[in-house]
Amino acid sequence: MPTHSDLVALAPELILILAAGVLLLVEAFLPRIRHAASGLALVSVAGAAWARLALPLPGAVWSGMLRVDRVTAFVDLYILVALFLSIWMAVGFLRRNGLDRAEFHALLLLAATGAMVMAASVNLLTIFLGLELLSMPLYVLNAYLRRVDVSLEAGLKYFVVGAFASGFLAYGAALLYGVAGSTDLATLAQSVVQEGRMTPLLAVGLAMFSGGLLFKLALFPFHGWAPDVYQGSPTPVTAFLSAVPKGAALVVLLRLVISMDLLHLTNRWLWAGALVAVASQFLGNIVAIVQRDIKRMLGYSGIAHMGYAMVGVIVGGTEGAGAVLVYLAAYTFMNMGAFAVIALLSESEREPHLIGDLAGQGWRRPIPALALTVCMFSLAGIPPFVGFTGKFLVFKSAVDAGLVWLAVVGVLNSLISAFYYLRVVYTLYMRPLPRREPAFPAGFSIGAAAATAAVAVVLAGIFPAPLIRAAEAAAQLFLG
Amino acid sequence: MEHLLTYVTFGPTAAALVLALLPERWERLHRWLALAVSLGLFALSLLIWKGFDPDITGFQMVDGPLAWIPQLGISYHLGVDGISLLLVLLTTLLIPVVILASWTSITEHVKGFHVSLLFLTTGMIGAFLALDIFLFYVFWEVMLIPMYFIIGVWGGARRIYAAVKFFIYTMVGSLLMLVAILYLAWFHHQLTGAWSFAYTDMLKTAPQLAMGTGLLSSPQLLVFAAFFLAFAIKVPMFPFHTWLPDAHVEAPTGGSIILAGVLLKLGTYGFLRFNRALFPAAWEAAVPLILVLAVVGILYGAWVAMVQPDMKKLVAYSSVSHLGFVMLGLAGGTLASTQGAVLQMVNHGLSTGALFLLVGVIYERRHTRLIADYGGIAGVVPVYTGIFLFVTLSSIGLPGLNGFVGEFLILAGTWAGHPLFVVLGALGVIFGAVYMLWMVQRVFWNPLVHEENRSLKDINLREVLAVLPLLVFIVWIGVHPTTFLSPMEAAVRLLLAR
Repeated sequence: MPTHSDLVALAPELILILAAGVLLLVEAFLPRIRHAASGLALVSVAGAAWARLALPLPGAVWSGMLRVDRVTAFVDLYILVALFLSIWMAVGFLRRNGLDRAEFHALLLLAATGAMVMAASVNLLTIFLGLELLSMPLYVLNAYLRRVDVSLEAGLKYFVVGAFASGFLAYGAALLYGVAGSTDLATLAQSVVQEGRMTPLLAVGLAMFSGGLLFKLALFPFHGWAPDVYQGSPTPVTAFLSAVPKGAALVVLLRLVISMDLLHLTNRWLWAGALVAVASQFLGNIVAIVQRDIKRMLGYSGIAHMGYAMVGVIVGGTEGAGAVLVYLAAYTFMNMGAFAVIALLSESEREPHLIGDLAGQGWRRPIPALALTVCMFSLAGIPPFVGFTGKFLVFKSAVDAGLVWLAVVGVLNSLISAFYYLRVVYTLYMRPLPRREPAFPAGFSIGAAAATAAVAVVLAGIFPAPLIRAAEAAAQLFLG
Repeated sequence: MEHLLTYVTFGPTAAALVLALLPERWERLHRWLALAVSLGLFALSLLIWKGFDPDITGFQMVDGPLAWIPQLGISYHLGVDGISLLLVLLTTLLIPVVILASWTSITEHVKGFHVSLLFLTTGMIGAFLALDIFLFYVFWEVMLIPMYFIIGVWGGARRIYAAVKFFIYTMVGSLLMLVAILYLAWFHHQLTGAWSFAYTDMLKTAPQLAMGTGLLSSPQLLVFAAFFLAFAIKVPMFPFHTWLPDAHVEAPTGGSIILAGVLLKLGTYGFLRFNRALFPAAWEAAVPLILVLAVVGILYGAWVAMVQPDMKKLVAYSSVSHLGFVMLGLAGGTLASTQGAVLQMVNHGLSTGALFLLVGVIYERRHTRLIADYGGIAGVVPVYTGIFLFVTLSSIGLPGLNGFVGEFLILAGTWAGHPLFVVLGALGVIFGAVYMLWMVQRVFWNPLVHEENRSLKDINLREVLAVLPLLVFIVWIGVHPTTFLSPMEAAVRLLLAR
């Protein structure tokens, strides 16, 4: 039987689920008030965030299957911010495309709940449950533009690949259960540390389990789905997809890595992790250079960014974990901002979102263009934007761990990435407006989401101390 | 006044934000406001000069340290010494010059231009004054964005190519420098157990980096090399100079002035402030390499300048040559040569800034910078000719003007240690006279063959006002260099004693 404190600890999740249920009922029985659905969704997200901030963080709950501590709180807030911005952009986006339905928001809320459960899990079973709750709604959301072929393709692709990922994860979990005789992560870590070496069973189990997570992170060699899905999904869903599942998967990976202290357990972890990180960075950045569709480009860039974050995961420890958490927050803000501007400056969802279509918009639509510019420079890691803060901390953790070469590879990749991020900027400001000017439908809420994200990118970049403090405080707890 | 350094650094940012909020179509207001702000900024830097005590060694008027990212020991910390004082003065002198020079040549996106310029100013001044190495890096990188826009939006035909090239080249160096900075911080933590990015802390710990035997096994040499690359690209030293001609040719006149006048100085300043001060042993080992590259730069820059058909490109290559002198002086390592190098940084900013301005003046009238399109215009535009000739003489080091003092100090100071390089460098002085005077002859004297040049309008009052402050300092430094040499003496002595 769940106790009172178990329920209180999960209050944010419960608020979201309740809101999702209400939204589905509204869609079914009161379709006339569905235009208020987004408002209700936003209120519930704000409520969930308030609950997470205001309620105590009890630590282990639900018989030790979940941990609600500062790590969870950090990631929950990160997920809720991303969710809030996604819904905000979706308001205008859905109206433009004539798809203003309450179920869209309900599905987003459910997916976010899954991510939050996953992030709070310290048990192989709940991790799997969270992953499934996260993924199922997303399969539907990817294909939400049901009259657009690429959207259907995105939905199908994400579904097939996602099914594989779940299979990997479940199989890996079974093998890990074989190692420890328990699904509890702490017990697993204890038995690994006692063993003191990498047994074949553990190696295969870990590889499969983290393979499933790498799918969600779109990291090499499981990155293939990302560009197509990014391109095809409705833009607010792409924004959500680029941030929330990655955050949850990274936290699970961090819990695993840090609890077992893998960097010191076996040097194979370093090489396997470094291979994933370095290959993802190079592949993402080099292939992104030749993309003409900006959503595809950001898909590849996302592969590279998770490659940078992976550096922090390899290093592990408090410093590495703190850096990864800051990186996640940074990545969310700049990615959300970029996708919001893309949603705003696109004529029709049936056409590809070509970078060239942005020509001259810097002077025609100064505020969205400035927001996009800020996000691009931030993604390239130029100070004083928050993307620089994230990279700085990740590379610092690598240098401090004696892995200077990983930092050097990272900065070289930042250099490569500057090519394609700069292309967006010069297209905005240095190319002339086309003769036939694109007509962008109005979208106040999308613009507001973009502006909010861009302001966050600047402010958190200039005054990073609070963010770093929160991330470090959370990272302390990974060690238990 | 307290916090004077903060005002001079972030005044331009505040002004840029105000300008950004004003409507785009009030172009005259944007120009006048930016001009007023830049003049106020110059006044502020004169106040700094007035309050500066040349007898104090070390940094003065220190602002901070104010905890910025306390977890990592990063703080907001500004201070000025004799070297940065001169460079800040140069920067704030050039900003109003740039605004006046762009008065009629920048006609599109006037607001954007001035906003970019003011943000750039914050980056430049901040980089000169930063006493925290992380803060320095932030200012250093922040400069990239506005300069990228200035070249790319208001530049010539191949502006996008030039802007991206400028951005990427600079980034190559600075990213490796970032890793080196991280390494220095880590090393400081290893030694003392505390995190710090403070410049004064680095001064204590960085020289203790092991020298090792080879380049790859020597932490000090590797970190030195990372800083070296960043600054060598910025200077630019041969063979890292290839971005410079593109950037200069495509940049608008104002952009060229600021690029040659200040941005290149950040490279030489960085050499002095970081490579020289933080890694004395590695610097000692690198002196032969720097000498060779400096002399190659002097001669190569001069030779390539000689055959340029385009005036702006000629001046751009002459920068490679002149910055070679600065590097020669730094490598010379004596009080005279180092003081000469710092003075020559200022001189180059004045003379080359003025040359770019003057080339811009004539370009605005004829829309060509090719030497072959002119000839015999001395009689048509006498005032312009006089000023151009004057600046040319300053650039080639005529005694009595600023260039002579700098070059003389560099060559005399380096003589004792490296006579061969001084002889080769002195050849560069001769070649410098050749290419500059040859250009002047072909543009202003020779027969007037192009009819359209007969109706050229002479330099107007605004343009004279723009160039006048530069001329004043050109004479001042030439006649009485002590005004500028004495404030920096203590700082240079302190540096050389390391």
